[in-house]
Amino acid sequence: MFHTNPVYKKELKISVRTIKTAMIILAYNMILAVIGLFVFYASFDYKSTIAGVVNYHNMMNLYEILSVIEFALILFIVPAITSGAISGERERQTLDILLTTKLTPLQIIRGKLASSISLILLIVVSSLPILSIVFSIGGIRIIDLIQLMMCIVVTAIFVGSIGLFFSVLFRRTTVSTVFTYGTVIFLVLGTIGILTGVYLIINVRIDTNVVEDAAHRIAPNLGNMILMLLVNPAITLLSLFSNQFKNKEFLSDFLNNYGQCNRVVTEHWFGISVTIQLLISIILIIMSARLLDPLKRGNTKRGNSRRSKTKRKKNNQY
Amino acid sequence: MLRIQNLYKRYGDYIALNGLNLYLKKGELLGFVGPNGAGKTTTMRIAAGLLKADSGEIYVDGIDVNKDQKKLKEKIGYMPDFFGVYDNLKVIEYMEFYASMYGIIGNKAKQISMELMDQVNLSDKANDYVDELSRGMKQRLCLARSLVHNPDLLILDEPASGLDPRARVEMKTILKNLSDNGRTIIVSSHILPELAQMCTTIGIIEKGRMVVNGTVDEIMTKLNATNPIIIKVVNNQEEAITLLKTNPLVENISIKENSISIGFLGDEIEEAKLIRTLVENNVYLSSFSREEGDLESLFMQITAHAEQEV
Repeated sequence: MFHTNPVYKKELKISVRTIKTAMIILAYNMILAVIGLFVFYASFDYKSTIAGVVNYHNMMNLYEILSVIEFALILFIVPAITSGAISGERERQTLDILLTTKLTPLQIIRGKLASSISLILLIVVSSLPILSIVFSIGGIRIIDLIQLMMCIVVTAIFVGSIGLFFSVLFRRTTVSTVFTYGTVIFLVLGTIGILTGVYLIINVRIDTNVVEDAAHRIAPNLGNMILMLLVNPAITLLSLFSNQFKNKEFLSDFLNNYGQCNRVVTEHWFGISVTIQLLISIILIIMSARLLDPLKRGNTKRGNSRRSKTKRKKNNQY
Repeated sequence: MLRIQNLYKRYGDYIALNGLNLYLKKGELLGFVGPNGAGKTTTMRIAAGLLKADSGEIYVDGIDVNKDQKKLKEKIGYMPDFFGVYDNLKVIEYMEFYASMYGIIGNKAKQISMELMDQVNLSDKANDYVDELSRGMKQRLCLARSLVHNPDLLILDEPASGLDPRARVEMKTILKNLSDNGRTIIVSSHILPELAQMCTTIGIIEKGRMVVNGTVDEIMTKLNATNPIIIKVVNNQEEAITLLKTNPLVENISIKENSISIGFLGDEIEEAKLIRTLVENNVYLSSFSREEGDLESLFMQITAHAEQEV
């Protein structure tokens, strides 16, 4: 797929020729470098000068901070790349020609997604020299970094497929971009917001019901509702940190705030969440391909009416 | 090569195609003409597999358009009425990109691309960026692109729209050459005379129906049959008018100086009989000829109703 898909090749060729790609890579690495060096300086040089003490455990913090920043940047960049992938073709009036070629809608979608992932890989790999600061003291293994890269790639596929889906669904790139960012914000913050909201409501109810015997007050337990966080890429990263640093219980500490959910899931959170996110990506890719197919889309009433409106606007030509 | 039977398509309440029938033989160059909103683009989009008809049959070289998309895509080359190009892609790369969609890669793709660019007079622009080309050049490039997989049927939706007169002539010449080389082409336009010069057959569509279909000569004959006959008489004009009034095939007699204009429903034999009757009754004629019609007036006549409504 990656070697022969013409859309993939074309997208890569075009993207490496634009100044936009170079600027994204530059900005990405600059942000990482500035923050990374600042944290490095604050943790070592500053502390050793002022306090005369250096805590090498801070190197773990540096890794976590850099990973979170890298992850956040990916969440920010991927929607920008993918949300205009198909709607941009439509706006440029190149989509019809693409659809009349021998390439299937699924191949077009795959080519678009693959090129976006390749660009993300390029960005991530370009940041490796900065990330390798964490190796200067020790404590972080190569395998940890590879796991982080994989987590980022899975997130890129997940968010990328969301962007592509909206890009097929909406004719305008601006609408598609708004919906993609909205969905990403919902997945990262909205899911936590919903759990927190439900938690607070239950907490208030418990407080009003159990006034007489405050000593036996039971904390709210959202149970398996917590599992909705499996689609939250930020929690997936948190679970990766938990796996990498056995002495830090990031995930369980966080989840315990909302109660107790299935123990098996909690123990294998990273693997399960990555699998679910990849499955959702596959479903979104298939749905995108189906929506892109003019004849399948034409079967729906919505497809017809949408075509109708734009056609009438365009030169009154039928 | 192309067979369309009873094609219907609605957009909400608007009927775009209302039982359209169209037949195109191999090697023909069909001029598909109609006013804006007649259904040309809809028909072409359905034939190209970009739109599904509500009902009806459409076959390209025996392939059901709705059932075998994969084979259809190998058979057709499509050029839409509005299209864009990719920035940061050179002309040769643009051609190779579309060639690769059909599994044509490497040197073969380059060779085919260069040959096609030569056909559309763009070989000297191979290393220019596509977005730097003029409108006419982009149209020609898009035409070359649609030929990259050597399709049996070429569907061109208003390929000369928005071009200056010189570019229109260039496009016409290219299409004529393609047709002369045996390529089957359907080309749409809302300007009939423009197509009449190069097309082997003409189909005029109005309100989603095919109203006239045939070779240019057939259409011209039909058109002339309804045109008035101008008779110039040397003497006995009153006698001539009396005789004409008695002929059941004559209608709408009007007189201008020594010329009599008549609507005549008969064929050439009936015309000859009318001349003999006039001469035998001592009406000397200096001229007897049917007024020459042109395709533009035919088009205006057919589409007048549609134009009023659009």
